[in-house]
Amino acid sequence: MRYPNGKLALDGVDLTVRAGELVTILGSNGSGKTTLLRCIARLQNPSEGQVLVGGEDLARLNGEALRRARLALAMVFQRANLVRRRSVLANVASGTLGRRRTLWTTFGGLPAEELPAARELLRKVGVERLGAQRADTLSGGQAQRVAIARALAQSPKLVLADEPVASLDPEAAEEIMRLLRQLAVENGLAVLCVLHQPALAQRYSHRVVGLRDGLVVFDLPAAFCADQEIALLYKDLAA
Amino acid sequence: MSVDGAALDVAPRPARSAAQEPGAAALSKVGFTRRLVRGVVVLAATAIVAQSFYVVQARPGDLITGVHGMVDIIRRAMPPAWGDIADIAWPALETVDLAIFGTVFGVLMAVPLAVMAAANVTPARPLYYLARAIIALTRAVPDLVWALLFVTAVGLGPFPGALALAVHSIGMLGRLFAEVIEDMDFGPVEALTLTGASRLQVFTHAVVPGVAPSLLGIGLYRFDENLRSSLVLGFVGAGGIGFRLLTAMNLFQYQTVSLLLIATFILVMAAERGSALLRRQVA
Repeated sequence: MRYPNGKLALDGVDLTVRAGELVTILGSNGSGKTTLLRCIARLQNPSEGQVLVGGEDLARLNGEALRRARLALAMVFQRANLVRRRSVLANVASGTLGRRRTLWTTFGGLPAEELPAARELLRKVGVERLGAQRADTLSGGQAQRVAIARALAQSPKLVLADEPVASLDPEAAEEIMRLLRQLAVENGLAVLCVLHQPALAQRYSHRVVGLRDGLVVFDLPAAFCADQEIALLYKDLAA
Repeated sequence: MSVDGAALDVAPRPARSAAQEPGAAALSKVGFTRRLVRGVVVLAATAIVAQSFYVVQARPGDLITGVHGMVDIIRRAMPPAWGDIADIAWPALETVDLAIFGTVFGVLMAVPLAVMAAANVTPARPLYYLARAIIALTRAVPDLVWALLFVTAVGLGPFPGALALAVHSIGMLGRLFAEVIEDMDFGPVEALTLTGASRLQVFTHAVVPGVAPSLLGIGLYRFDENLRSSLVLGFVGAGGIGFRLLTAMNLFQYQTVSLLLIATFILVMAAERGSALLRRQVA
């Protein structure tokens, strides 16, 4: 991935995430973590290379085909990015818009047949009582759970999470990470998560990938990822 | 007279800065420059205000000699012609309806225009410039001038006034709406785009809930402004209370004039309070 201003943000990153696996990416600010996720989701266009999701190359698709291919991947952002003035339940149900394209939903209606499933998802992420509340009344941790429920409503194969716990207190952060791991293990999703907390990465992920200046520095099972590897990512900056 | 005015403007300048210098010498150089700049700004502002007095030919004396003329008019305007209330009910309704028509059509036209004129959601660059041009044109021409144009085009009566308000509102609302859309939180839009939703779905499910309350508030405020404008539009023959006011003035019916002014006051206050109340509800 090269930015129009000539800065090379990602250089030959080759990464595979299997179903049922939680992979975290660590790296300092500007190492290319977020760019990598945004390239995979095609919020930015990679200048070279492939993004294969379920065998389809997202980097080559455009328009309607891209929209269809995106159904297989869901994203959770640092800020929950909920529609603040709508109810929690409406926010979750809007995750299904991609496969419920009717005249009704085109003009702002919610797919009624998805509401029971949306309630079930809220229960799964542990906020079933908040369904009727407006999204802007939630705490950070609650909002992030709802955002995860919305991502799940899409029934994706791959979940991308961009610093999902960066704006949460430590306790809420642990709970969100536990939830993400549970999705990988119990629902067989592939989860790719960008983190700033090495400790959380070591504890919850199956694999840890270190990124530095757009290059993969290491790609290790979490059990083998020790503090000295992590120190490699941040060394220069500390000195 | 003009020489006098010019002398008055310029004279204090050397005097003031000379008086400042001894004190400033004790201060640091930076402090001195700042004081000098401040002094110049104050002088310039005084000069600007002074020339405005001269140009508008302000003669405070005339206010005093004119008092008995005003008292005479007020005396002749009392008591208000309460008997005419039934007569002015229709023009009052016309005034309110002018504002309603102008606001509703202004909003209806301004929303699609604002979508095109918001840099972040505009469908195409040429449309962006076209929409911006329409907004600039309809905004720059005052509603009174629009009313004059429409009176010429469609004749006397409330309709040209309603059109004038609608057209001017398009520009005023279009710009504010576009700004609201540009300042919108883009997170939810990105999030819904990634769920594979269509462009129109993203618009109705993320953009609309995000901006609707602000748009409603701006629209209500516009109604308030349009009501006040519609009172004046009658002066150029575009119907409503203004037209009755002009007629009554020309016929020296000052008691009717005072009644009309009371009606105007009530309408404006009601619109202001009502729109503020509703705006609080949607905020």
